[in-house]
Amino acid sequence: MSVFVEVDHVDRIFTLPDGNTYTALKNIELKIKQGEFISLIGHSGCGKSTLLNIIAGLDRASRGGVILEGRQVKEPGPDRMVVFQNYSLLPWMTVYENISLAVDEVYKNQTKAERRSTVEHHIDLVGLRQARDKRPSELSGGMKQRVAIARALAIRPKLLLLDEPFGALDALTRGGLQEQLMKICEESHVTCVMVTHDVDEALLLSDRIVMLTNGPEAQIGQILDVSIPRPRQRMEVVNHPSYYALRNELIYFLNQQKRIKQRKAKQHVVIAGNGLEKVNLEIGFIPLTDCAPLVVAKEKGFFAKHGLTDVTLSREPSWKEIAKGVGTGRLDAAQMVAGMPLAMTLGAGGKTPVPIVSALTLSRNGNAITLSKKFFEQGVKTLADLKAAIAADSDTVHTLGMVHPASMHNLLLRYWLASGGIHPDEDVSLTVIPPPQMVANLRAGNIDGYCVGEPWNSRAVYEELGFVIATDLDLWAGHPEKVLGVREEWANQYPQTHVALVKALLEACDYCDDRRNREEILELLCRPEYVGSEPAYTRPGFLDPYNRGDGSAPQQLLHFNQFHVDKANYRDRTDLLWILTQLARWGLIPFPKNWVEVLDRVSRTDVFGIAARELGFMDIGHDPQPIKLFDGKILYPDRPIDYLNSLEIKHQIRIEEIAIDPIVASV
Amino acid sequence: MTATLDRSRKNLQQKAIAKFIAKKVIPPIVAIAIFALVWQLLVMAGILNLPSPTTVIEETWDPYIINPFFDNGGTDKGLALQIFASLGRVAIGFSLSAIVGITLGILIGSNEFVYNAVDPIFQVLRTVPPLAWLPLSLAALQQSNPSAIFVIFITAIWPIIINTTVGVQQLPQDYRNVARVLKLRGSKYFFKILFPATVPYIFTGLRIGIGLSWLAIVAAEMLVGGVGIGFFIWDAYNSSLLSQIIIALLYVGVVGLLLDRIVAFIASKVVPEEQR
Repeated sequence: MSVFVEVDHVDRIFTLPDGNTYTALKNIELKIKQGEFISLIGHSGCGKSTLLNIIAGLDRASRGGVILEGRQVKEPGPDRMVVFQNYSLLPWMTVYENISLAVDEVYKNQTKAERRSTVEHHIDLVGLRQARDKRPSELSGGMKQRVAIARALAIRPKLLLLDEPFGALDALTRGGLQEQLMKICEESHVTCVMVTHDVDEALLLSDRIVMLTNGPEAQIGQILDVSIPRPRQRMEVVNHPSYYALRNELIYFLNQQKRIKQRKAKQHVVIAGNGLEKVNLEIGFIPLTDCAPLVVAKEKGFFAKHGLTDVTLSREPSWKEIAKGVGTGRLDAAQMVAGMPLAMTLGAGGKTPVPIVSALTLSRNGNAITLSKKFFEQGVKTLADLKAAIAADSDTVHTLGMVHPASMHNLLLRYWLASGGIHPDEDVSLTVIPPPQMVANLRAGNIDGYCVGEPWNSRAVYEELGFVIATDLDLWAGHPEKVLGVREEWANQYPQTHVALVKALLEACDYCDDRRNREEILELLCRPEYVGSEPAYTRPGFLDPYNRGDGSAPQQLLHFNQFHVDKANYRDRTDLLWILTQLARWGLIPFPKNWVEVLDRVSRTDVFGIAARELGFMDIGHDPQPIKLFDGKILYPDRPIDYLNSLEIKHQIRIEEIAIDPIVASV
Repeated sequence: MTATLDRSRKNLQQKAIAKFIAKKVIPPIVAIAIFALVWQLLVMAGILNLPSPTTVIEETWDPYIINPFFDNGGTDKGLALQIFASLGRVAIGFSLSAIVGITLGILIGSNEFVYNAVDPIFQVLRTVPPLAWLPLSLAALQQSNPSAIFVIFITAIWPIIINTTVGVQQLPQDYRNVARVLKLRGSKYFFKILFPATVPYIFTGLRIGIGLSWLAIVAAEMLVGGVGIGFFIWDAYNSSLLSQIIIALLYVGVVGLLLDRIVAFIASKVVPEEQR
């Protein structure tokens, strides 16, 4: 559909009384389709209302402009009727007179009787027949807002602009009015832009939600598509499978903006102490069983023991946010999927490269591939069965979920599919879904299976939604799973802190692999501020025999979550090389001709060595040894190109010299 | 059952009335009684060279108190008639100043240039005491009655102009936005938005104006003569009839209060609750 309203690179700069300027909005770019309902959401003072006023023509953009149906908006007009926050009814007029004031002005060429019937119709529409001849002072807030809406709708605007229309109302009135507004909008196909700060209101009403960052220089931070089908019912939308995912994303955005605001107030405080450059660390994690080392380091005092006395664990909604958080410096460090440091350093997927270093592997294994129960009912037991099932039903697109392009989930899932002759980009469709949302998506039928860490496989088994067709012990026992990642610049700026962090986590990993501690760790993980999952489906694999949900007896898998034993924490070069070959295999990066340099930059074995020696652990890893996966193909540590050539299903491989930025000198 | 309810309601009403009397009626009466008593004592002790309250009532009982409407021709008229004469002048002067003042106020308020141009002039003129205008108006108009009316007019007009101007300037952005979005222009804008929104301010101006008019009329009448409460007081002074002065002052005060309350009452009926 064509663009109905275009907000074209709008800036709004206010001149303050003292002669300075304040840039409220910066480079706002938004295209609105006919009949669309758009919400603007953001913290107070972010310029949402200013933007609405600019669209209305009540305010002018300092740069850029607004185009409605191909014509620039230069002044306000009844085709862009506004429902104001404080109703803006004229107190000296009755309900009827307030509405007829608008109708008489807009429909000058109609007869009196026609205009009268329009007004009466809209009074009935919002159910104010009883109050027809009352003045605003005799009405409740909800009634006043209904008058304002009736006044706006009565003149059939092309664009309806609502400025926090229900902000001042009690919950019950608000709910009723939201439904009325939604019904009216759907019936008359009005295009709407609404300013709100109510997340549920935005989700209920909108087709798209535009999230604005904090002012000054507020920008569009993110646009969320609300794909919940219409007509919507207020009580039913919450049951839609994507509702809570969308809601979480919104809340996360708002919380993040709030934190940014608070941090700006604090202005990057670096607290030095205990012989370290920085003791206040913000560390990101994803709610998964293998975040255990971070939780243990915090709760069992390993951070504090090594001088990191002010560590905050920040629960993040997705790996994308982890990457963004570390990249922008919001997070000091984070639990990362194994391929993320390489992918970020090399700028995989066309992103700006951010050099990331990793000195520690936090966990190995811990993943599984879960398929929907419907495959099980079709008799799928092996990879070959799966291929047959997919081939037999070639009209349907089979979608599988994974958590991040650079994660082992993606790489192992692809490897597994390809080894069975299923091309992961042609025969099936892979989609990125944050771990905690996998089960909901499987239940909703959005995906047919996924590869993810625990407890999200066991939960699907527990809820009888799916079955585990393979654990990563079946594919590559002992593969690196989660690693510690920090920006290279950060590592150079705070070398002592980096070592202390690695030491604390290394000890925590050791603690995690003592099975006597597992019950206690399980209790920590199940707390709502960490994973918040039920012990029933968190135990399998971690403590209890692992149940695949395919009818076979649960098996005790001792290395399912491997945190320390078998030199698990060392950052093996060959592990990284394997990841590098797979990232190149699936076209995420060209294979770096200077791969030796890349691996050296990313894996900081020097930091690991210092930390391990100071703790009295063995500081060496495995000798460079070939990696052999379940299909028998072998990666020799010095011959990656041969390995890539030996793989059958792959993208076009490019081999390029990839220049990484010069090392950032410590400040 | 109903009977008991009725009775209890009646009881409640009676209680409310009793409470009102106890709180609002009795204290002023007591205060007046004490004031009168002190006055009486001071006069009796010879400290105050004025008629005592009892003397005042004695001397003015007939005809001033019991017959406010007697008319012996000339200026020898009952107090009510005197007051009506004064009120008549106020009515003409004040009406003129209201019409001119509101019109000018709206014009000045809606045009920033005009406002900047004339505001300093008004600020100077409004501080000129009412009586200072009298010689000028007598010289210009040559007649006493129109001169007195002019003094009323010129006294009352400033607060009306200034308040109306402020009202127009303070027109809430909300109403202005409504007018802009609906593209209301010209007379429609004036009568549907601007004027109704300014009404509360206009009434504030009118209320100050009526108070000032009443202040000015007594002084003006003392000088221009003729029938009217001001001249009555002056006449009484010349005849050393202090009791008459005192009783006339009482009338002037009560009428002034009534005028103020009447304007306030009209305002309460005209101005919607939300704008107060």
